[in-house]
Amino acid sequence: MMEIIDYALWLYMYSVLVAIAAVAIYGVVARPNILKKIIALTILGDTANTFIIFIGYRLGSTTPPIITTLTPTPEQISAFVAASVDPVPQCLVITAIVINMAVTALLIFLAIQAYRLYRTLHVKNLARLRG
Amino acid sequence: MVDVLLEILFLELLLAFSLTLALVLAYFTIVQRDLVKAAVLSAGQSIAYAFTYYLLAAPDILFAYIPIAVGIYTVLLLYAISKTERYEEL
Amino acid sequence: MKVKPVASVSVLIILAAAVLAIALGATGYTPSLELRPLAEFYLKHCLNPFKKEYWAASPEAVTSMLWDYRGLDTVYETTVFFLAIIGSVAVFRFAEAALTSYKEAEKGKPKAEEGLSLIVRVITRIVFVLIVALSAAIALHGHLTPGGGFQAGSIFAVAPLLAIAAFSRRFLEELGLTKNKCLAIRTTGLLAIALIALIPLAFVLMGFAGSFIIQNQPKPWALHPVFPGFPVNLGPIWLAGTLILFNIAEYLTVASGFTLLFILLALPEEFFRRLMGK
Repeated sequence: MMEIIDYALWLYMYSVLVAIAAVAIYGVVARPNILKKIIALTILGDTANTFIIFIGYRLGSTTPPIITTLTPTPEQISAFVAASVDPVPQCLVITAIVINMAVTALLIFLAIQAYRLYRTLHVKNLARLRG
Repeated sequence: MVDVLLEILFLELLLAFSLTLALVLAYFTIVQRDLVKAAVLSAGQSIAYAFTYYLLAAPDILFAYIPIAVGIYTVLLLYAISKTERYEEL
Repeated sequence: MKVKPVASVSVLIILAAAVLAIALGATGYTPSLELRPLAEFYLKHCLNPFKKEYWAASPEAVTSMLWDYRGLDTVYETTVFFLAIIGSVAVFRFAEAALTSYKEAEKGKPKAEEGLSLIVRVITRIVFVLIVALSAAIALHGHLTPGGGFQAGSIFAVAPLLAIAAFSRRFLEELGLTKNKCLAIRTTGLLAIALIALIPLAFVLMGFAGSFIIQNQPKPWALHPVFPGFPVNLGPIWLAGTLILFNIAEYLTVASGFTLLFILLALPEEFFRRLMGK
């Protein structure tokens, strides 16, 4: 009984993540303002990072991957390895967060400069300019 | 044994709640036509994600994600909106 | 927007297939009760004084993976961040000329008139100091507790933001944070990262044969004589080899990079428009 509720909850959580990704992709494709596209792009990147951390989770664990003493005994180390969550996805996600943020900052600067030159941020008007 | 299972169930209910909150806020961010409100709603959605990262035992990511998503993205967007247009036309 | 039925039905089918695939184990039956072998290796060896050939001398697995086990990834990520800041400064390269006309206009205004109200200014003064102190603490303890260079740099970036909003842009310049000084601090941080990564190369040129770049602790399977590694502790203070040095250098880099972006963005728009002639 408990396992069915558990399984249903994890299925629900994965479908909510995929739904947020779908809403973000709709935002990138269908909204004509460049700043709205940038907002939707940040939501999409963060959803992908959350999904990666979901993959690295150990069921029922609340131990972050940090040892609590500077001189551990072998029993403490094996207890830590048996209870902690996966640190590999967390390392990759920190790299991904910083790269996404660098790209977004450059995109916003380019959007401001495009508005200064062409006085519009609507994608259809920008496409009609042809340089 | 049963109370351990109940604790795990409670954790999963909290995770489901925070992700649902993120979905609702993300939907309202995308369909909102006033860009200032969209920026603030996207900051709210980032707070829901930060709560999710805490429940999944990832404190390093939390420290990196909260200032970037709530501080830097929102302020960059507000600067960009003040230098361009506020309302999005369809 | 007119919704086409074929497009929406196909999107729904793709989404349902994605959700089913994930739930039925496409990513390995998550979440499970056991970890992958790679994760167990990193967790077992990041602070294991009985197996000193694999250790990274830090109780925090994520920071030891960021700067020791997967250090090259982080160096390239720092390069990407560096290129983004250079690109932004290049796009806004009229900032110098706009800045001189802005300074002419700002000379007449008295200081007490600008910014927000008195309550906001007093509170911002207190919070500014707290944020800077907290970010320095997170950077210096990145190898012992959650934290590190990126986290601390991002937290530091909130402080000049608040200062620009509550006071004015002049406040930062009187503190000494001009555009050229921020560029200088950022270059210092990046040079420090490059030097620490290449110190084992200097040892190779001096005659020690067994070194790798971004090396933290000695590896006994290298060719003899072996690189001695960075110091692990200084008496009671636990420095985790290169991790504390990398964290401090990354903190300087990220903090000054973000401050530079906010200094460039805070110029009012009319000065740029006058320059571009519109």
